[in-house]
Amino acid sequence: MDASALPTLLAIAWLTPLASFTVIVLLGKSLGPHGKYAGYISVGAILVSTVMSLVALFGAWLPNHPLADASHHGASYEAGAHGSSSPNAHSGDSHADGRAADAHAADAHAADEAHESEKPAYYGDWYALGQWGKLKLTIGYYIDALTVTMFSMVSLIAACVHVYALGYMHDELHDPYVDHEVHVHDGGHLHRPGRFHRFFQYLSLFSFSMLGLVIAGNVAMVFVFWELVGICSYFLIGFYIERQSASNAANKAFITNRVGDFGMLIGMMALWASLGTFAFGDLTTPDGQTELGIFSRLRTAENDHRLVPPPEMVAEGERTFASTETTGDGGSNAGHWLLFIAGVGIFCGCVGKSAQFPLHVWLPDAMEGPTPVSALVHSATMVAAGVYLVGRFYPAFSPEALLVIAVVGCITLTIAATIAITAVDIKRVLAYSTVSQLGYMMLSLGLGGWAAGLFHLVTHAFFKSLLFLCSGSVIHAVHSNDMREMGGLRRKMPITAYTMLVGCLAIIGAGIPLTAFGLSGYYSKDAIVEQAWSFAETNKGAYWLLLAMPVVGAAMTAFYMFRLWYMTFAGKPRNHHRYDHAHESPAVMTRPLLLLAFFAIAVGWTVPLTNLSVTNLLHQAEPAGIAATSHGVLLPSLTVPAEALSHAPEIKFKAGLAAFGAAMTGLLAATVIYLWNTLNPAEIRQTFQPVYRLLWNKWYFDELYSAALIRPTMALGRRIAAFDRAVIDELIHGLAWLSRGVSKVFGVLFDQTVVDGTVNTFADWTWDFGLLLRRLQTGSVRQYVLFIVAGTLVLFVAVSTVQWLAYS
Amino acid sequence: MNLSDPIAYLSLMVFLPALGALVLAFFPRGREDAIKFTALGFTIFTFMLTLGMLMEDAGGVNFEAGAAEMQNLFSAAWIPSFGIQYLMGLDGISFPLVVLTAFLSVLAMVASWPITKHVKAYCILFLLLETGMIGVFMALDFFLFYVFWEVMLLPMYFLIGVWGGPRKEYAAIKFFLYTLVGSVLMLIAILMLYFNSDLTLLNSQQLADAGIFAVAAEGGNPQTVEQAYQAWLASDDDTARRFQEIQAETNPARRRQLHTFNILALQQMGQLENSPFSQNVWLGRSIQWWAFLLLLIGFIIKVPSVPLHTWLPDAHVEAPTPISMILAGVLLKMGGYGIIRICYPICPAAAYELAYVVCGIGVVSMVWGAFAALAQNDFKRMVAYSSVSHMGYVVLGLGVWSLGMWTAGPGGSATYNADYWKMGVTGAMYQMIAHGISSAGMFFCVGVLYDRVHHRNLNEFGGIFGRMPVYAGMAVAIFFAGLGLPGLCGFIGEVFVVLSVWKYSQLLAVVSAAVVILTAGYILWAIQRVYLGAEYRGPHGEALTPMTVREMAVAIPLVVFAIVFGVYPPSLLNYMQPSIDRQVETLAAWTERYDADREALQNTLNNDQEQVAAK
Repeated sequence: MDASALPTLLAIAWLTPLASFTVIVLLGKSLGPHGKYAGYISVGAILVSTVMSLVALFGAWLPNHPLADASHHGASYEAGAHGSSSPNAHSGDSHADGRAADAHAADAHAADEAHESEKPAYYGDWYALGQWGKLKLTIGYYIDALTVTMFSMVSLIAACVHVYALGYMHDELHDPYVDHEVHVHDGGHLHRPGRFHRFFQYLSLFSFSMLGLVIAGNVAMVFVFWELVGICSYFLIGFYIERQSASNAANKAFITNRVGDFGMLIGMMALWASLGTFAFGDLTTPDGQTELGIFSRLRTAENDHRLVPPPEMVAEGERTFASTETTGDGGSNAGHWLLFIAGVGIFCGCVGKSAQFPLHVWLPDAMEGPTPVSALVHSATMVAAGVYLVGRFYPAFSPEALLVIAVVGCITLTIAATIAITAVDIKRVLAYSTVSQLGYMMLSLGLGGWAAGLFHLVTHAFFKSLLFLCSGSVIHAVHSNDMREMGGLRRKMPITAYTMLVGCLAIIGAGIPLTAFGLSGYYSKDAIVEQAWSFAETNKGAYWLLLAMPVVGAAMTAFYMFRLWYMTFAGKPRNHHRYDHAHESPAVMTRPLLLLAFFAIAVGWTVPLTNLSVTNLLHQAEPAGIAATSHGVLLPSLTVPAEALSHAPEIKFKAGLAAFGAAMTGLLAATVIYLWNTLNPAEIRQTFQPVYRLLWNKWYFDELYSAALIRPTMALGRRIAAFDRAVIDELIHGLAWLSRGVSKVFGVLFDQTVVDGTVNTFADWTWDFGLLLRRLQTGSVRQYVLFIVAGTLVLFVAVSTVQWLAYS
Repeated sequence: MNLSDPIAYLSLMVFLPALGALVLAFFPRGREDAIKFTALGFTIFTFMLTLGMLMEDAGGVNFEAGAAEMQNLFSAAWIPSFGIQYLMGLDGISFPLVVLTAFLSVLAMVASWPITKHVKAYCILFLLLETGMIGVFMALDFFLFYVFWEVMLLPMYFLIGVWGGPRKEYAAIKFFLYTLVGSVLMLIAILMLYFNSDLTLLNSQQLADAGIFAVAAEGGNPQTVEQAYQAWLASDDDTARRFQEIQAETNPARRRQLHTFNILALQQMGQLENSPFSQNVWLGRSIQWWAFLLLLIGFIIKVPSVPLHTWLPDAHVEAPTPISMILAGVLLKMGGYGIIRICYPICPAAAYELAYVVCGIGVVSMVWGAFAALAQNDFKRMVAYSSVSHMGYVVLGLGVWSLGMWTAGPGGSATYNADYWKMGVTGAMYQMIAHGISSAGMFFCVGVLYDRVHHRNLNEFGGIFGRMPVYAGMAVAIFFAGLGLPGLCGFIGEVFVVLSVWKYSQLLAVVSAAVVILTAGYILWAIQRVYLGAEYRGPHGEALTPMTVREMAVAIPLVVFAIVFGVYPPSLLNYMQPSIDRQVETLAAWTERYDADREALQNTLNNDQEQVAAK
């Protein structure tokens, strides 16, 4: 199939779930008994998306863009590092010939070999939201290998989750559905109509939004779908709208995300004001002109695709900072500052969406939603959107912005891992694990490991959705989230138990060290540690923390994951009532588990006899210029090493052993405590009481935010409302009172003396005149006639006189 | 009556509701349904007239998309001795507002069915109000504009004061006094401008553009402007006669001025190089500075902006539902319309100088309204404050006088690039329409609940989703439109405005971006308290019956338009954009001349000082 079919294929994949959403919204419960067919419509739609995505990948992308072995565990690290000088191929729909990727032209320096490649991408606009001169906000697409990979990954996982949800949400087909967690005023449980169709309506809308986010051709469109996945997440977290905890969690998720969006808006403004475009790709207009996108503007071919702020950005920066501070080479660094603000701003959005410190607080609460949602939205896709955007926007991040990303990722992965150690709610352990793994991805991206971070995004999506669906299967069986009430369940639900074991092994990165054989997490996590190692060796100093924390984090990951597995599936049942009622889930739920388990094992592998692997696919999307080592401008000591350098054998060796050792340590500790019971967890808790309390209370973030942000905001709101009433309104009332007072005073002073006085005087005169007349009033008719005649005469004379005077 | 003549068609649009009011006056008492249906019929017919302009070959006049200038402009002498014309026309700025007005009038009339008190009087006042509103958007003569402005005021006063809630008298008087103060200030400004205006300063093209005389565009032999000008001068038109008299006067000392109320002509004069409004009058400020200030205060009372906004929550809380819809949906837009149509083009120098004040007022209102909305426990008050916040975007967007002068041109030269400014004004205009839909919808949603349970205390709701699922679904959609969710109408205007601000002021941009958090806060919190939750525990729970067909007839169109305008903005921008671009470009060109003059003046002064210093 021709590559020009890609936009159409992906647009179909993108829009089919929207059609499903529309149908379900309009017809709802009338679709089959209790709205049952809504589920089938939704599943059908996502299957169409999956097929279209896979056709796009295997039918349209790969035949036109053959993969090269860009080497993940291969040995071509020498071939990495200096900026390639080839143009970013593409655009329009017609002529991307996609010569891919493996000509390694040697450079003079040994480690600085140019990575000669053309990165195929397709960019176009569907329609404009608004246009002002050269400024244009559009709805369009940007399709490269990353887009195609994400489409396949998202739609595949979404399809598994949709099918699984047909079984998991089965209770919602009952009318009335009894919600045992909600008590109504008469003391009973809430009875309400089932909402099976609503759930699938939201899932379809979510799939549409997520795919729209991935296909988006510009930052503004990303923002549109960014918000839409946010609102879907809001609906799905708050699916049990009757539960106060659920609606609180939904609000918290959306508002926390909006805090991130605030930063993102600032980043967008900085870009918009300086570059005047949001486009990712370059567009050739019908009249033959080329409109350059953000990346081509920031990394021009003349600069060897190095990140250099263009003149308009420098000018805008100088205006913004009113600074003419100069860098070493004599130029102003205002442009770099603006670039830094734009980068960190966009990253703020990612912090919100990907639940990074300090906005990570919403994700664990989001577990209030039904478990399939947790699997799809809050582990595999939506929260990955932040990481995806960092990856997509990567060419525009300056080294300083990348450092911020790395530090945030590092803090996040550590904090979340520590909290996961003490959590007892099975879904919350997984939620904190998700936060922690997202931290790994951010760390990797921030340290220059572009492909490693995105690779981990893909592998994590599979094994984390697997883990969540397994936990859902467990919850479905025992009707509890509390691991303290589980135990020994592997005998009751073997498929769930062993697929979950696969997930646990994948997430801790199990594999045979120093070989190329392991589960999916093995490849991606090792790649991250390798990059961290490479970064730490290059920069030295306190940067070693950015290596130490992920290694320690790997140990913690292994510990909490196996703690979870042992507490749930191993040992003796702790609650016999729940154990006795437990049962393996129906096939509609276990089959997706098996499929996902397969991917959790194998998604990191290279298909035998071909070059087909996720890494190679990702390398095909690696933006021009980012393969090179880059140096900070605002922070001259900072060096972000080229990713290829991390494949050096000595780094691979050390990093591989460190990661393996850490994982084994954590695994061993969990086994000792929770399987062999050699150490008593209660005693350990007792010994480390203060630490335990800190972790149990999630480092007190919720309390801190409540005291420092939410309550002051509400108080300020009340103050402002009170100001309106007490000051502005009272002022108005005062004015009204004053004007009434003034009119009263006027009443006394003016009306009563002047006006009334005048009137009274006239009255007096009239009175006197009347008195005078009374004397004439004699009752004699003759006298009256006399007066009338005399009066008429006087009038006649007077009028005649006036007329005579006037006309003479 | 020939409806293809603009004077007939546009007059009919304006006065058809008033005619309806007259017809209703002869209805006997007690025929309440007949009265309501008749009133509804008149609003629907008016709406169809506005839509008829979109259709070619519909027999009437057309409104052409893509044209920037005034369309269907007509004038007739009204009070010639003062130069007052019966002058109306439509362009891309006013036309969408007229359609919105007619549209919301229909919906508000449908929403008026629960009114049972003095139905006849209600309907008469309602229709008079509609005439006033449409007239304000179409009038292009300042005097006529003022008359319609006042015509609108009185019915509104009675509609709040008679059909309102418990504190209706207080709210009505507050509304009346606030608005009256605005009107008085506006009247002073109008007279200031009138007595300093002079038509004879304009050339023939400008006079033609202002509708002083008509250029016969159709026919086999189109007239040139000059021919039309000569024909006008030769006619026995009173203005033309005086125009010639004044032009014939050679002695400058004895030369009089030909005053005018024509808004288009005043715009031309305001943008002249030697504008008659630039002379100083008081405290070293020019006529246009004072006029701008007075007009601005008058208009931001209507918007309303902080600190002149406190009439709005009271008026809304007391007004009946349909009147709230009209008040939020249409009346507030008149403030924004006045700023863009009158303040900016007539007094550009003052507007340029005070642009930061305007933007600042906008941003303060956005923040203030959002914070205050967060603290409300009365559902309607909360929505009213959200209007203050959302209309802040309008004021901000109109104010961003950013010309991208910092955009480096070739050779480091500064260029006047008005693209960001256009974006801001477009966003403001879009926000006006979007807010017209979302706020009317929000007030209607509050009204639906109030009609059933007779209270609005946010803390006594809950569980409405379970009781009225269809209503709750639509209400949530409308509230999300207010929240600015992408895909719904509120998003477009907000994002246009916010993105355009950075170029003008980074500080204001950052603050305005922060409002998205607060907006999400108060709207989601309200949704949670009203619609979510296990059960309704407030009073009159038994009255929570599903939405009626009549109520759906109001809500569904609002939801549909909220989606259409959110997904496909060109549906509206195709009509709006050319006029906005034209106005902004005109003002940008004016600014360029103005800055060049000021720079030249500054250079002269500097040179003088240097010479003095050299001596």
